Formats: sequence, structure tokens, C-alpha cells
Amino acid sequence: MATETSTPTTPATATTAEITPLPPFSPDLYQRAWASIPHPSLPLIATCHAHSVTVFSLSTLSKHSVLTGGHTRSVRSAAWQPPRGKVSKETKRLRLVTGSFDTTAGVWTWDQGRREERLEREVRMQSGEDNKEEEEEEDEWELTLVLEGHENEVKSVNYSPSGQYLATCSRDKSVWIWEDVGNPNPSSEAKKEEEDEDEDEWETVAVLQEHDGDVKAVAWCPDVPGRKGKYAPPKRYGDDVLASASYDNTVRLWREDGDGEWVCVAVLEGHEGTVWGVAWEGRQREKDKFPRLLSWGADEVVRVWSLKEPEEEEHEEGAAGSGNNPWGFGVPNTMRRSLKEEWECTAVLPKVHKGDIYSVAWSTETGLLASVGSDSVLALYQETANTTTTTTPEKTEEEQTNGDAPTTTTAGGWKVLTTVKSAHGPFEINHITWCKRYDAGSERKGEEEMLVTTGDDGVVRPWQVRIQ
Amino acid sequence: MAKSDFDNANPTVLSVSQLPSRNLAKGHVRKGPDSKYDHILFPKQWWAGSSLNSDPSVWTSDEDEDDDLTLATEEPIDEQEIYGKNYAPSSCTCMERCNLLSTISDPEHPVTLGQIAVVRLDDIHLSPSPAERLDPNTLTNVEVDLTPTVNHCSLATVIGLAVRVRLENALPPNYRIIVRMKDGSHAQDDQVNKQLGDKERVAAALENDTLKGIIEKMLETCV
Repeated sequence: MATETSTPTTPATATTAEITPLPPFSPDLYQRAWASIPHPSLPLIATCHAHSVTVFSLSTLSKHSVLTGGHTRSVRSAAWQPPRGKVSKETKRLRLVTGSFDTTAGVWTWDQGRREERLEREVRMQSGEDNKEEEEEEDEWELTLVLEGHENEVKSVNYSPSGQYLATCSRDKSVWIWEDVGNPNPSSEAKKEEEDEDEDEWETVAVLQEHDGDVKAVAWCPDVPGRKGKYAPPKRYGDDVLASASYDNTVRLWREDGDGEWVCVAVLEGHEGTVWGVAWEGRQREKDKFPRLLSWGADEVVRVWSLKEPEEEEHEEGAAGSGNNPWGFGVPNTMRRSLKEEWECTAVLPKVHKGDIYSVAWSTETGLLASVGSDSVLALYQETANTTTTTTPEKTEEEQTNGDAPTTTTAGGWKVLTTVKSAHGPFEINHITWCKRYDAGSERKGEEEMLVTTGDDGVVRPWQVRIQ
Repeated sequence: MAKSDFDNANPTVLSVSQLPSRNLAKGHVRKGPDSKYDHILFPKQWWAGSSLNSDPSVWTSDEDEDDDLTLATEEPIDEQEIYGKNYAPSSCTCMERCNLLSTISDPEHPVTLGQIAVVRLDDIHLSPSPAERLDPNTLTNVEVDLTPTVNHCSLATVIGLAVRVRLENALPPNYRIIVRMKDGSHAQDDQVNKQLGDKERVAAALENDTLKGIIEKMLETCV
């Protein structure tokens, strides 16, 4: 429900929010943790720290499993393979991709089905040589494939919504797009049914080298109705859109041009420092507008970007091109419609942080934003009408948030709901994400949303968010 | 702007005793066995580890942390302490806070950064100043402006990294360290500054054995 923008009067009523810390996941990791990525459908969250990933259960808030021994340097990021096919199968097989400073990305499989199979086989042929099987048993995660190609540290990995593509980026200034060719396309369900064994086979489909600096993060546009809605760019590219954030202070957007070539369709300029990350709007917008994009960085600023809606231009395009192929050979360059999309910065969030902003999370449920950074502050923002409100949100006395008075600052249609200072004590906070609650304390398991922050102190902390 | 103001070529090499000092503990220079340099790079921090420290046993509970941090605020750290030299408050037993920077070795020559004035006391700034801090979680910025010996010094990044590592390991976690090349002192100062301010790049650099080796060597003289 994207109601804020369509009913501009309601947001003026001050909403107050209360953020309270829940007990951290156990055990503490005792070392810098970079990020915690929730599974898209299961109660699991994967935290990257040192050379490993620890998977926590969101039900028990404790360790589920560990991925170790696959990387020789720090694991910086991780991505879960999106759920596909039958859900029951998904619970048997988990797949996680890790991006590491050792220049590789690792594809890991936790295969309950395969394990059972192996055990059966073991029972059948009991004769000797079973030692190595036993060893493997302890490690339920198996590194099934290493994606090599980057020259320097891999900083971020991300799956496209269908799971068809994987994007990786690195200090070598490049973004690589890999296609999962071992997995049958999710559409060909029947094939998948009979042959359960997916092959781990990936093909490099693009190496994008237009950034002038380290590429810090990559994020795929989620498959929301707006992605293909009437405000989406004319159907000349594939549906998948990738955003990349860079040390060169820019964000770039990439699409497949229909001929298998991936091209940069927009360069978003405005940040005055490293762009640490990008996040897409995962909530359906009114009139199915194209999802917006967030970017944030070392300049302590969070920006909201929107696709300039094509409107009448759509007709022009039909007229200008020759039939269905306006860029066909023979058409002079000047005649071809620009491959670029027009994106504009439509909002800048009220300034809260003093220091690099490392992570911002956009709720698909409520549309609220939460940000963290090197100043150990956690801030929560809400979109308002495009007017400046002067309402001072009530400050509850017992509020744990020893933050500044919830601000009256309103900028570009966003206001700060609340802030939590020293959310990880004096330590820097590297990551924040929204995820569903499944723990015993939740009133609506699997529905209620909470925040999870990950810090330099090795603590992964869930936060309850109450909005009135 | 006279370029020579910033150039520090052919620096006057001072002897250690000539370096600025408060001389609180007269003639008391802390020394330790050379083999101890590991503890500088991988110190057993009483407040909790850095990324380099993975030994859980040195981690303390929240309460202990509070106690220690209170202690730390009672004895505020100031610029002199960060610069270093002959300053050894008797109450400061929990950590090696002295000679934080001035005794780091130059990567190429057998002199310390203080001796060749790459690190200068006047170019170390704390904000807010130690006296204003109350809460141990209050963040304090430590800004260190370095003056490379020549304005295209290729080792500027390495020196900056050593300074940052030294401070990150020695100071409590509420310190935010900003290491920069002094304005105009280095041909690519913007580039170097950006790199030194990038947490991710610093973390990755410290996993590079060659670089780590150089920095360990530079910090050997810091004991």
C-alpha cells in the first residue's frame, strides 16, 4: 500500500516511533561483523565476519550453522539465493553466495536432501572408506563453487529477483554479472521436478568497467509491479535493473539491452564522497510507478532517486524509430533515441549522522527507512507530504532512545521519527536490515518487522520498532 | 602560498630528547623487549578487540567495559599523549598510551616519524577536547595531519596507514581517527586522504601480508 503520497493530508499527523533493543543473537562474534542478510523466506539471517559467515536462527536468536574454510580473507558480503520452485524443496536446500576480500565469490550449499541421500548410500554399502563422509557431516555447508575473475577484493554480491543473475563488484572498479546456467529456469518447473540435482554452473555474461573507483555495492531492483508498470521505461531492455555504488562518488544503473549486452543506462551524480550503498524501494507505489532508489555515503547524506516518468515521450519513441527497432543499423547515431534513462534526486533525507553512513534499509512493509553509520547512531525516517511540518513529536519519558529530541526537521518529504545514540556502544555500525520476527517474544510471528544491526563490536542486535 | 611552507624535504633530524614533551615523568621512557611489537599491532585491548584481534578471552562484559571507560575518562587522553614522548602518568597502567605516534619508524630510514617531523604535535587535534567529554560513549575525533617529507612521497599511504593502525589499536573504541596529509603537503593528498578514511580499504589492506609486514616493522619502535 503506497498511501502516503496519494493522501497527502494524513502524514501530517505526527507518528511517533519507539525503538527498543532486543537481546542480541548469541553467541557474540567478538570481532568486526560486516553485514547480516536475512533469508527472503526462512527464519534465518547470515552474518559475515572474518573469514566466515555465521547463520543465526530468527526463531531461537542463536547460531544455526557456520560457513568456514572457504575463504582466505574476510567475507564482506553475502546473498541468499531467492526461493524458487516448491517451498518444501527450499527448506531442504539453502544456497548462499559470499563475497570475500580474497577476490572470489563462493557459492555454498546446505543440502539436507543430499545429506540424507548420502547417509542412505552409506548404510547400503557399509564397507570401509567412510571416514571422509563422517568428517563432512559436521559441516553442513559445502562450498560448491568458487567464482573467480575479480582482481581485487569483492565488496558486494547480490542475486537478481528471479535468481537468474548474480552481480559481484570489487575494488578493481568492475561489476561482473554471472548467469546461473546450471539451474533450469524457474519457468520450466517440470524439468526441475524430475531432476532435483541442480548443477553449479555459472557463466560470466558481463564485465562492466565504467566506474572510476572501487565498486562498493550492487543491488538489483526487486520484482514489484512498478518494475514493469506503465511508468517503466519502454520495453526495450530486459526487466532486471542493477544499481552499483562506487568510491568514485556515483551510482550507475545497468540493464540488459535486449541483445545480451549490459549497458549503463544512468549515472546518478550528487554525492560528495564514496557512495557506500544503494537500496531499492520494495513496496508497490501508487499508480505502479517505477521503484525509487536510495543511495548513501561518506558525505553523510542519504538521497532518494526517482525515474523521470516518460509520459508523452513514449509516443515520440514509436514515431521516431523505424518500426520495432529504433536503434537498428542504418539509423544515424543522432537519430537513435538515447539509451539513457533520466533519474533525478527527488529527496535528501534530514541530516542525522556525523560520519560515514554505512547502511540504510527500506522497509517493504511500512516504507520506513533506517540508517546507521560510523557515529553509532541508528535513525528512523518516515516519508511525509511534501510540506514542512512543524509538529514536535511527543517525547516519551521512559524512551530508551537517549537521542536528540525527535526532530522537527523535514526535508524533501522525509522526517526523522526517532534516533538511538550509541546503538552499539561506541562502536561503528556497519549494517542495518529489516527482517521478520519469528522469536518467542513476537506477537505476530512471521509478520512483525524488526531491525537488525551489525557492528564492529561483533554484536548482531535485533530491535523492536513500535509505531503509533 | 609558498610551496616551501609545506615541503619537508631534507628535514632536520632531531634527537629524541629534543622532541616536544611535557616531561611529566622526567626521564622515564618506557621500553620493552623488541619482540613485543606484536602486541602493538595485535594488542590485548581491555575494552574489546579490533578486527585484528580475535581472541575472545580479552573481551570484557558490559559492566567491566563501563568501569574501564570511566577510568579512561578520568584520565583524559590529550594531544600530547597521542604524540607521545616521555609521558607516563603513574595512574595509567591499563594500557600503553605513551609514545603513540612520534616513535613510529619511517619505512625507509632509521628515524622516527617524530624526528623527521612527519608527525607534529601541533597537527594533532582532538574534538571535543578531552575535558568536555562525560559519557564514555561520546565520540571523539582524533585528527592527525601528516607532513610527508617530499610532496610526492610514495610511502605517504603506508605511513598514514601505520598511524591509523597505531591509533585504532591503542585508543578506546569511542575514538574516530582521521589521518590526513596536511593541506598541500602531498601531490595526491585528496586521493591519499580518501583512501585512509575508507574503513573497508583499510581493513582489506591489513589483510595484505606484505603491507602488514611493513607496518609491523614501523611499529616495532613504539614499544
